[in-house]
Amino acid sequence: MDAYVAMEDGRVVAARGRAPGRTRGELVFTTAYTGYEESLTDPSYEEQVLTFSYPLIGNYGVRTERFESERVHPTAAVAREFTDEVAEWLENEGVPALDHLDTRDLVTTVRDEGAMKCGIAVGEDVTPEDAREELANCVGMSDHVDIGDQVSVRDEVVYEADGDGPTVALLDCGVKGSIVSSLVDRGATVHRHPHDATPETVADCDPDVLFVSNGPGDPENFEATQATVREFAGEVPIAGICLGQQIVASALGGTTEKMTFGHRGVNQPVMDLESGQVVMTTQNHGYTVADPGPLDVTQINVNDDTPEGLESDELDVLTRQYHPEANPGPEDTLGFFDDVLGMAECRTPLLAD
Amino acid sequence: MSDDADGVPEENPTILLIGSGPIQIGQAAEFDYSGAQACRALQEEGARVVLVNSNPATIMTDPEMADAVYIEPITTEAISEVIARENPDGVIAGLGGQTGLNVTAELAEEGVLEEYDVDIMGTPLDTIYATEDRDLFRQRMENIGQPVPRSTTITLDEGESVTELDGAALEERVDDAVEAVGGLPVISRTTYTLGGSGSGVVHDREELVERVRKGLRLSRNSEVLVTESIAGWVELEYEVMRDADDSCIIICNMENLDPMGIHTGESTVVTPSQVIPDDGHQEMRTAALDVIRELGIQGGCNIQFAWRDDGTPGGEYRVVEVNPRVSRSSALASKATGYPIARVTAKVALGKRLHEIENEITGETTAAFEPAIDYVVTKVPRWPQDKFEDVDFTLGTAMKSTGEAMAIGRTFEESLLKALRSAEYDPAVDWADVDDDELDAQYLERPSPDRSFAIFEAFDRGYDVERVADLTGIESWYVERYARIADAAKDAPAGEFELVGDVGFTDQQVAALADGASTSAVVAGGDAFDASAHLDDVAATTTDRRFKQVDTCAGEFAASTPYYYSARDPISGIGREEVQVDTDVESVVVVGGGPIRIGQGVEFDYCAVHAVRALRELGIDAHVVNNNPETVSTDYDTSDGLFFEPISAEEVADVVEATGADGVMVQFGGQTSVNVGEPLETELARRGLDCAVLGTSVDAMDLAEDRDRFNALMDEMGIAQPEGGTATSREEALDLADELGYPVLVRPSYVLGGRAMRVVHSDADLERYIEEAVRVSPDKPILVDQFLDGAVELDVDAVADGENVLVGGIMEHVETAGVHSGDSACSIPPRSLDDATLARVREVTEDIAGALDTVGLLNVQLAVKESESGAEVYVLEANPRSSRTVPFVSKATGVPIAKLAAKAMAGRSLGDLDAEERIPEHTSVKEVVLPFDRLPGSDPRLGPEMKSTGEVMGTARSFAKAYDKAQDAAGSPIAASGTAVVHFDDLHESFAEHYDLATFDDEAALFGALREGKVDLLVTDRREALATAVEEDVPYVSTEASARATLAALDAKGDPLDVLPVSDRPTVAREWGGE
Repeated sequence: MDAYVAMEDGRVVAARGRAPGRTRGELVFTTAYTGYEESLTDPSYEEQVLTFSYPLIGNYGVRTERFESERVHPTAAVAREFTDEVAEWLENEGVPALDHLDTRDLVTTVRDEGAMKCGIAVGEDVTPEDAREELANCVGMSDHVDIGDQVSVRDEVVYEADGDGPTVALLDCGVKGSIVSSLVDRGATVHRHPHDATPETVADCDPDVLFVSNGPGDPENFEATQATVREFAGEVPIAGICLGQQIVASALGGTTEKMTFGHRGVNQPVMDLESGQVVMTTQNHGYTVADPGPLDVTQINVNDDTPEGLESDELDVLTRQYHPEANPGPEDTLGFFDDVLGMAECRTPLLAD
Repeated sequence: MSDDADGVPEENPTILLIGSGPIQIGQAAEFDYSGAQACRALQEEGARVVLVNSNPATIMTDPEMADAVYIEPITTEAISEVIARENPDGVIAGLGGQTGLNVTAELAEEGVLEEYDVDIMGTPLDTIYATEDRDLFRQRMENIGQPVPRSTTITLDEGESVTELDGAALEERVDDAVEAVGGLPVISRTTYTLGGSGSGVVHDREELVERVRKGLRLSRNSEVLVTESIAGWVELEYEVMRDADDSCIIICNMENLDPMGIHTGESTVVTPSQVIPDDGHQEMRTAALDVIRELGIQGGCNIQFAWRDDGTPGGEYRVVEVNPRVSRSSALASKATGYPIARVTAKVALGKRLHEIENEITGETTAAFEPAIDYVVTKVPRWPQDKFEDVDFTLGTAMKSTGEAMAIGRTFEESLLKALRSAEYDPAVDWADVDDDELDAQYLERPSPDRSFAIFEAFDRGYDVERVADLTGIESWYVERYARIADAAKDAPAGEFELVGDVGFTDQQVAALADGASTSAVVAGGDAFDASAHLDDVAATTTDRRFKQVDTCAGEFAASTPYYYSARDPISGIGREEVQVDTDVESVVVVGGGPIRIGQGVEFDYCAVHAVRALRELGIDAHVVNNNPETVSTDYDTSDGLFFEPISAEEVADVVEATGADGVMVQFGGQTSVNVGEPLETELARRGLDCAVLGTSVDAMDLAEDRDRFNALMDEMGIAQPEGGTATSREEALDLADELGYPVLVRPSYVLGGRAMRVVHSDADLERYIEEAVRVSPDKPILVDQFLDGAVELDVDAVADGENVLVGGIMEHVETAGVHSGDSACSIPPRSLDDATLARVREVTEDIAGALDTVGLLNVQLAVKESESGAEVYVLEANPRSSRTVPFVSKATGVPIAKLAAKAMAGRSLGDLDAEERIPEHTSVKEVVLPFDRLPGSDPRLGPEMKSTGEVMGTARSFAKAYDKAQDAAGSPIAASGTAVVHFDDLHESFAEHYDLATFDDEAALFGALREGKVDLLVTDRREALATAVEEDVPYVSTEASARATLAALDAKGDPLDVLPVSDRPTVAREWGGE
């Protein structure tokens, strides 16, 4: 099976086709070498072509219990070598896959030139021209204004926990399964709302915490979510992860920006400014908070000083740019979920009526 | 001992760094690498570094590596004196292996550290004890909820006897025990029996009952330990780093290809793990962090796990062991990822936080991160199987390998094939003689150094993956990839070369496969093939290898000082150039020595590193090709470009091509680099590369090794050699021996380094030798030489620039002829030679240097035999290349001959370099360390075949005291008094002056006395007695010559230790053998 990647800078790279199809997306890479099942099912990779910098992908099989969502989200997957099992899975999911190419060349190109548009063509008789056509139709990540609809639930879903823990209203901008289970495992009942749920619908579940999930794309395209955050700010504690942190910061008066090629991997060092301790985190984002607005930056990335944790005692806000829920990646920051639910318990009785 | 208020000062403390001593099985060059890196790291932080190590062959003992370097025994006595002289503020123990750790613990226990107010920096002693005591460790792990292999003991009650115990009662206890550890199979272990007898995995209840019955009877304390069997689980290691702020990271994990039950040092190891899902990996990662926190480790640490897929998403694991220090695995992890564990450990010990330490490879990130890698690393051990025919090399829980090679590729197949080439191990099996049953039982089921080769052989015979996986217990994922290699190889004879190359073979190997060679034969060799007519075709067809970076971050950040590996990745067309060297400046490629093995130790890494440093001093860029992860030469900042590659002509030529090197040096990496010289010249010419093999010509090196050409040359110059000749049949050999007169020295002509060399005393001996050992034939002649009985042997190391010769030093061996020079103790300066003899030695050396047009190093081995006409000097061997005595000579004299040689090879004259000969006023003795205790069944007698793994140096004002110190340093101190057994009649009287001499009626009584610890010194040349002494760790002397040296040392027992920094030892500028 032939395969081509047409890159925004004009080059076309030939590869071996492993799962057929034609598609396009933003070319990004992750440096994690385990966790391919989790990454491929992570909604944050929507509209992106995911390149694995680790060459051998699929070594320990494919099991649904390790999935983060119902389907594969990247538009295509690229590795130096996929196992047959992964290739079959991607083919069944209708996601083009290609290997036998020099992925390090792709990765370092993206590093130096930034995440870029690309077109993919995989099939028996595809040509470089097919890939170029796909590229021509590729739009930038920020132009995917309706990306939230592609990844969010349509209707509210409730996850009941045993016992009488706090109620979390989760705004689903493309949430990973592990975030929901991290909350439920800690006794919270989670009401998963569509990303554009109205403040009124959200208020109906009488949340103790408003939680904005991770997800794909530009935080400025999540206007409805931002509006809901503004509505609840100061009333209910607010938490967020990844895109969630960006949405919260932007909603409360901060700004966000697109990064050159983002952070994608499971080895991102984050320092807590108060304790001086450094922990390892999983990350997957192409946008970041530029100005935190009224929020305090409490944690930063050791490599590039970008904000990794935002807080406000006054507004009861606690957000993380990285993924404390891991899956894949280190479990160093699971305590975040305890802190979030802790905010709920300290909630002022004022809101009880 | 913890940091107290007046602990280590923050500003410019004096730090004592203790090395690991001689290279031995289980403790190789990795601690030279970690120590050298730590020295630099500590000095960067403003510390004054005092270093102690007894091993002169190391880079860390170079005078410029630390503020004071002591080449002294690593004993509490010597180190106490160092402490008294230097008054250090702190000691770092975790960088000198088990040796460094043990001596630090002893210094603490003896109160020395307290007396001089020396703090233990980094990991505290309590932690060390907690990891070494099985019960304490189990307890600590249980406290933090970490699973360890379950275990229980079956005991007898007081007054109970196993013979009286009825069957049902015993069975009940056994059943309870099995249930307690989770069911069969279990490991049953009888406590406190000798040599672990009665231990093993038991699958069957009846068998277990029997074993327990027997065990209870034999055990001294009536106990049988029953442990959960984790044999067959996947074995993993995690390298962890922690700072004082409790920031913890994992540097990498490593997966053993061989299942649990084989020592990780004996296993083929892959980084990162391949068969563990993210859940399981993260569970073990978290466990590793919990363990390092619980133990309070600061710095690097290694944690071993066993893991299996039990059907859950993450699988199931056990914590097996913790190594609370920098180890062999940390050296491997450092080289595999680019993360400098020793450097960071040293800085953490001084109180630095991880995020305050720069990542020098990227230049823009810090040590507070976890390396990401985008390649596969494979390590394979190197075993001395060829040196010990009596030893069973079944791999198990004890190490037998001497060194290792590491390779990097983009697929496991590529990585494995590169690793097998790098190991330079050629299995001594003729597969045609092995039937399927034997292949299954002896080579697949039984783990041995030959197993990888046997797997290829099995696939060539049509075995399927499942069968091989079942027999070997290796995970199918790996076995499948072996199968892919074997499948790909089948294309070659059909003229399909591209995919064969892509899987990771070199063009030479592909061509050999095309010529019909078997996979198992080809994977072992890089250059060991006859020139193939297919080569040009193959080279034109296969994908070119290109170099990629090891950058710690999988490409996420641009690297400033990366190193490189080659891969046959598909050509992307993007054409990004990864090699960051300046191809326009003058540059030289230095070829390293590959894995450490007997006969080719850390000395050659020392030489290669000195060559690099010399070139850089001249302003020439120096690039290194090597594959030994334990060494300083493969540190990222040693050279201008490090290429982690197998040492084959083809792959060295790749480096020459990529760097645009003007020259390549093959003199410094021992036989490995010398062997590559000739094929490399051919390959450079084939590719039309304008690059010369520098120094003495390849032809002259060949001349020195070619018996006939060399003989003719010596005759021409009037230099005496032992008489001898070449025999191509049994009859010729017998005739020759009769002509020369017994004893004669015999050896095959086609192997080097004394392998299979013997002294034979009669026709019968000779016939047996031919019959059993070598099978002489016209293709494989043997050499028969006059044996110079009782001659004094000498080694000379010299440097020549094509005109002038500088003698580095003349060494006199302690052992007489018949013992391999590499196994003999020796002294510098010589102790028994007169001026006339030394002058002749010099003259001979200069003549040979001239005749070989030597540019660079020259080692000459000579023998001096007294005759009626005076002392006659014979030449035994001359090698125009680095020798294993080069670092010893340099340390003893202060003259850096390896550097001078490299500069001479780069075109400088000795005159320009202001080099001068120096003769030390003190005597230095080099003593060897032998591996017999690690290799049960080996013959502990010394002979013409080299067996030692490493060396130490002792220096004092007299030979006698220097010899005594060298024995201390080698770990076999001579007791000043006690009971001795002496079998050399001439020496009875002399030993009686120091010892009570014991005699025994028979051997059995002697062995009994040795086992009961009633003998303090055994002086004998009897194999069985020596073997018992080795087993029981009783000091012994096995030759008459060393017995005489021992007597001298006994007389000097009262002399002071005379501990001094190596650079304070006086020398005089005078020529060796000069006026």
